[in-house]
This record gives sequence, structure tokens and C-alpha cells, in this order.
Amino acid sequence: MLNYILQRVGLAIAVAFTVSLAAFLLLNIATDPAYAIAGEEADPEVIEQIRIRYGLDRPLWVRYLDWLTGVLRGDFGVSYYWNKPVATLVAERVGTTLTLAFSALFVTIAIAIPLGAAAALNRNTWVDRLALWLAVSAQAVPNFWLGLILIILFAVMIPIFPVSGDHTWLHFVLPAFVLGASSVPPVMRLMRTGLIEVMGSDYIRTARAKGYRGQTLLLRHALRNALLPVVSVLAVQLGQKVGGSVITESIFAINGLGRLALQSILGADIPTVQILIFLFALVFVAMNLLADILNAALDPRIRIR
Amino acid sequence: MKVRLIHSLGSVMLASGLAFGHAAFAGPQDDTLRAAMSGEILNLDYLYTTRREYIILAQMTDATLFTMNPANQQIEPGVASSYEFVDDMTIDVQLRDDVRFHDGSVLSAADVAYTYNWIIDPSSESHAQALISRWLDRAEVLDEHTVRFHLAAINPLIIRDMAQRVMLRKDGSYHQGDQVDHDAMALNVNGVGPYRVVRFNPGVELVLERFDDYFGDAPEIGNIVVRNIPDMGTQQAELMSGGINWMFNVPLDVARSLDARPGIDHLAGPDLRVSFIVLDAGGVAQPDGPLTDLRVRQAMNHAVNKPEIAEFLMGGGASEPIYSACHPVQFGCTQDVPRYEYDPDRARELLAEAGYPDGFSLDLWAYRERPNAEAIMADLEAVGIDINLRYVQLETLNQARASQDIAAYIGTWGSSGVADTALIARVHFSDTSDRHLSGDDQVVEWVLAAEQTADQDLRFDYYQQAITRIAEQAYWVPLVSYSADYLVTSDLEFPLDDDGVPRLQNARWK
Repeated sequence: MLNYILQRVGLAIAVAFTVSLAAFLLLNIATDPAYAIAGEEADPEVIEQIRIRYGLDRPLWVRYLDWLTGVLRGDFGVSYYWNKPVATLVAERVGTTLTLAFSALFVTIAIAIPLGAAAALNRNTWVDRLALWLAVSAQAVPNFWLGLILIILFAVMIPIFPVSGDHTWLHFVLPAFVLGASSVPPVMRLMRTGLIEVMGSDYIRTARAKGYRGQTLLLRHALRNALLPVVSVLAVQLGQKVGGSVITESIFAINGLGRLALQSILGADIPTVQILIFLFALVFVAMNLLADILNAALDPRIRIR
Repeated sequence: MKVRLIHSLGSVMLASGLAFGHAAFAGPQDDTLRAAMSGEILNLDYLYTTRREYIILAQMTDATLFTMNPANQQIEPGVASSYEFVDDMTIDVQLRDDVRFHDGSVLSAADVAYTYNWIIDPSSESHAQALISRWLDRAEVLDEHTVRFHLAAINPLIIRDMAQRVMLRKDGSYHQGDQVDHDAMALNVNGVGPYRVVRFNPGVELVLERFDDYFGDAPEIGNIVVRNIPDMGTQQAELMSGGINWMFNVPLDVARSLDARPGIDHLAGPDLRVSFIVLDAGGVAQPDGPLTDLRVRQAMNHAVNKPEIAEFLMGGGASEPIYSACHPVQFGCTQDVPRYEYDPDRARELLAEAGYPDGFSLDLWAYRERPNAEAIMADLEAVGIDINLRYVQLETLNQARASQDIAAYIGTWGSSGVADTALIARVHFSDTSDRHLSGDDQVVEWVLAAEQTADQDLRFDYYQQAITRIAEQAYWVPLVSYSADYLVTSDLEFPLDDDGVPRLQNARWK
């Protein structure tokens, strides 16, 4: 198991570095950071000054190596756009993004698990059809649209929640719902399939024969096993929430890593973009790893293997 | 039972509405104007920034030696009460004695001299350095309230630069002993303006309050909160729910649809930004390309229906077609130039005369207002020019132009809100600018000459000659001027100025 974990961590770091190199090259090809920092109507002299100040006049490979050695030393560089150490920028915002990501995951669990279970237990009835319809709809609706509709409904027409910002827990309700809703379909369908499979298995028949019925049968015997694949998907979904909140954070003006990523990309802030991509890639792979470990913990058969 | 359930549900909803009803209602109740901006506010020091958002903020936190009256473009006293040219290369500026910084200290000549000398010091790396170094050699303290400016060159825009570019800093602001700190004023600027910074969270929120010791007329509104809300749709929702009072750069369709709602007003005023197509007349990108032929350039001018672009795509409110290579309200922007009215038949004739009866292919670059770019493309295609629209990010366009790969692009220019042709001519018609594609040395000479005289009549003549020649030679296709569109809550009176710069400090409650 330790070997396996080490292998996966090594792979994660390799993936993250490859992604950061690709991001570095693409950003430099697509834009000139000096222009982006200076603004639309800056004098050519100012642009040149900025190019020299930030070392953007050096060859591309020198700049990348400079960045890479810095990261290996633990120096993540200074953001061109914010004029602050990237590590500080990330540290300031990571808490907000994690709050949003976990809230979103909670929303996903709270909707998808009961919905999936209801669909499985009422297979091929109107309940099942309704659950499927909800899942397909949630998958089809883009985040930005759902976000704006929820704002209009619950912040403008019925002003229960604030429109935007991140000062209080109330600010997180609508964005958590938007971000969480997009993960409902895969989790709900997996839950449904898993439960249907489990309910048809031999040990459930045995449990029934022993007289277990209703909630005890469902909660103690069926659900625990049906949750196995769901847990790994949830872990992966959490990784996606951390890196995938770009649109949601921008719509709700939440000052987290997703919004930072968008601002940095638009501002051609290469040091920040690179660290964020590096971080998102690491989180994603780490969550996959966590999924495997959780599976092993929940399923004795995997542990024994 | 049912009735009781509905009753309890209603109470819960009402209670939640009351409990959750966030106290952020913008308006006169708490004397707080809440404004939204899409572009991030990261640095409050205008000596180190250039964007429009920063001009708006600097006008609140800072003050300058002189001010520009946007109504008549006249220079008026500010922190300085008067100025006098001692000789061609020396100006003495007399300061008021009642100007205080936000930290309570009184402004003196030493502070003004420090600010100007710091800007032109190469180690300052100030964004104003390039501009001020063009004319300033050094500033000297004559007495506590008099500063002498020794000039490096004669420049007609000196007083204007003093009025619009240089925000005054306290002596030693950027120095801690031998250490230089460029960001010393970035987060908590110690200015002399009508509002002082209470709190600033970069990229999120700036809280300002009225500065009671401000030397000028006190603003009427006590507090101003500027929030960064990147999404325009979210800004609308905030406005509709009473979370903000003011938003700017509003797309016209949005402005019109929200104007119909009670409690929200749409305001449209002029903006100094103009759009135009720059043509590679000098053969910079294509040495023998079709655009080197005057008739082709004139044909393109006749082909574009700019009155309709102004009316239907820009909104018609404050947007007008333009015929000169500058904004009509700018000093020196003569309107007495050849006008190429919309005439597609004449365009086709001119193309045929130039040897392109079947037209030619052209890459047209653009970076904003895609509908305008597409309308222009359709107009040019209608007279036979096969347009390949290269709609890209501004940085990409800048890079391609720097590499001399662009034969025609739709540019826009806001002149930083300064109503002087110098602001648009210098950057588009000088030897050192990659925006200059005309290859016409005569135009460059006139534009340069206009910058080297303090004689306003002579300057006007130079610009008149340059702008007329640009039109005669059809180096550009001037397109339209812009309209500045705002949405505000109906309880806010927000005066609009001719230079298109929003001045939140002049707002008041109705």
C-alpha cells in the first residue's frame, strides 16, 4: 500500500509540473504580460519599464527555470498583477474556497444520496423517472445560468440571501447550491445503480430471510455497500470543487482561489496561474488517492488484497 | 390544521426575511454610496496605475496642483492657488496654506517638490515618469508655500499634466531611511483628497469616508464603498436588490432593460473614447499591399456606415459618427476635414479605379465590441473586400502589431479622459509607436511640433494640419465616439461630465 501511495504521489507531482510547463508556454504565447499589467492606454515607455522590472525581457526558458528552482526552494514567486507573494495570495483565499467546496459537497450528498436511494427503491416508477429527470436537468443547466436564476429568485425577488460577497455563512448558501448541483447527477446515478445491485445480491436475500426489513435492512446492510463507489466519486468531486469554482466564485463575487485563477489568467499573471494550476492538479490527484484509501477502509476485501 | 401550517410557514418566511435581510441596503439611510466595479482594484496609488477605475478612485482620495474644469476644459486652482512663468524654462507655483493630508499634517512646498522629484527619479518606476520626465528637470522649494519647477523642455501640457496626472504625496512617503518602498501608498494612500481610506481589501472592497479637513468644497455624501463584482449580471442583481447604488460601463441593452424598472435610472453621457480603423498606408505589414493606395483607403471610408453603427450598435444616446482622427471635444480636433460619407457605390468605383474591381482579401483585427466589428466587416464585404475578422484579446493584438503583422485593425482610444488631441495623436502618429502605420513623416513632424510649443494658437494650427492631412490621405477610417452608460438608484443624483470621467465625489442624494 505504501509503495502504491508513493507511486501515486510521484505521479501527481509529475502531472502538476507538466501542466505548469504547458500553462507557462501557452500563457506566454497568448499574451504579453507587460501589456496586461500596464493597462490598455499605457505609454510604450511604461510597458518597457514593466518588462524590465519583472524580468520579462529574459528568454522564456530562463524564466521557467527561474520559476522552477524557486518552487523547489519553496519560493512561489511574486504575483505581477497583485504585487504580492503568490503564497500569501493563495493562503488568504484557500479557506474561502475550501468552505465553498465542502458546503457544495454537503449539498451534493444531501440531495444525491436520498434521491438515488429513492430512485433505486422505487425502480421504474414515477419516483425513479422524476429523479432521473432532475439529474439530467441538473447536468444540462450551466453553472452561471443557475447562479443568476437563484440570485434573481432568492436574493432579488425573495430577498433571503445576499446577492454576492463572502462575509457571512449566508453568502455561501446559493453558491454552494450552484456548485453542489452540478455533482448531483453522477453521484445520484451511481447511488441508484449501486443500491439496485446490492438489493439484488445474495446477502440481502439472506438478511431478508432472517427477518430484516425496512430501515434496518437499508441502512445497516444495503446502503453501506452501495456507498462504496459513491465515496470514491465524492472524493473526486471534492477535487473538482476546489479547482472548478472559477465561474461560481466570479458570479457570486467570492474571493477564493477560483476567482483568483480567473483574475490571474485575464491579467496574464503567470506566477499565480502556474501555482494555482500546480495546486489544482495536486488536489485532484490527492483526492483520487484519498478515494482509493477510503475504499480500502470501507471494503475489507480491498484491505485484504 | 392546514391554516395553522400556512400561518406558521408564513411567519417563518417573514422571520427569515427579517433575520436574513442583510443590512447592506445602499443609500441615504446610512449616507453610504455603494458602487460596483468589474475591474479589480489592487493599488490605490495613482502614481503606479493607469486604468480608468484608478482615475475614478484617485479623484476621491487625492488632489492635484490644479484642476481641469470638465465643462469648459479650463485649468482652475487646486492645491496651488496660482502659477507664473518666470521664464521659458521656469515656473513658480504658489500653494494654498490650508491643505492637509489625511494623516492630519499640513501640506508644504517640500511635499510637492518631493512628489515631482520622486516621479522623475528613475528608481521610482512610477507610471507617470515617462510623461513628467518629458518636461521636468527638477522641482525646488523656494519657501514653505512656493515651489519652483525647472523645466527640461518646453511642453504645452505641463499645467494639464499637473492637473491630471500627479497626485501629491507627503515628503518621504516612499522612503524608509535608505530603503525605497514603491508600494508604500498602494494599500492606504495618504492623500489630500475629499475622501480618506477607511479600509481596503484589494480585489474585494474599498471603504472611503469624507475627509473633514479637505481644503475644497466638501462632498455631500459621507461614505463611499466600492465593491469589486466581476460579473455584470451580479452587479445588476445587486442594484435591483438595493445592494449597490451605482454601476458603470453598462452594456446598452442591459441599461435600457433595467431603466424600465422602478427605482433604477439609466444615465448616458459622452465619453472621450473613440473607435477607428488604422490602415497600413505606409506598407509596414504589407509593403505593396492594397492599403498603400489612397483610393482603396478612401473606398473603405465610404464603405462603412458609421451613422448606423452609432445609432443602432452604440446606442445613439451620446455616441456619434466621427470624421477626424480624434474626439470632437478635444483641443485641436478640427472638424473641417474631408468627410467620406457612407456611399458604397462610390467605394466600389474607387476600388475599381485602384485596380481592385473584384476586391481583395484583408485580415481585419479587432478586440472589443464584436457586433461593431461584424457590422464593419459586412459593410466592407458589401463593396467587395473579402474580410477575415481576427477577433482577439487586446494583448494578442498588441503583440501582432508590435511584430508588424497587422495591415488593418479596429482600435479604440480613451485619451485617459483628457480633452486634448495630444493624447491621441502622440501615441498613434509618432516614429516610436508601433500604432503608427501611415509612414507619413510630415504628420509625425506636425504632431511633434505641436508638443514643443507652449503657444496654444500654434499648437492648434499644427494639429489642424495633421488631422486634416490624416483625413485627406484616409490613413484611418474614423468610426464613432462612445457613450458612457451608468445605472444608478433613483435616490442618487449623479452629474455627468463631458470628458466621460465619472466623479463619484460630486454625487448627492436627491
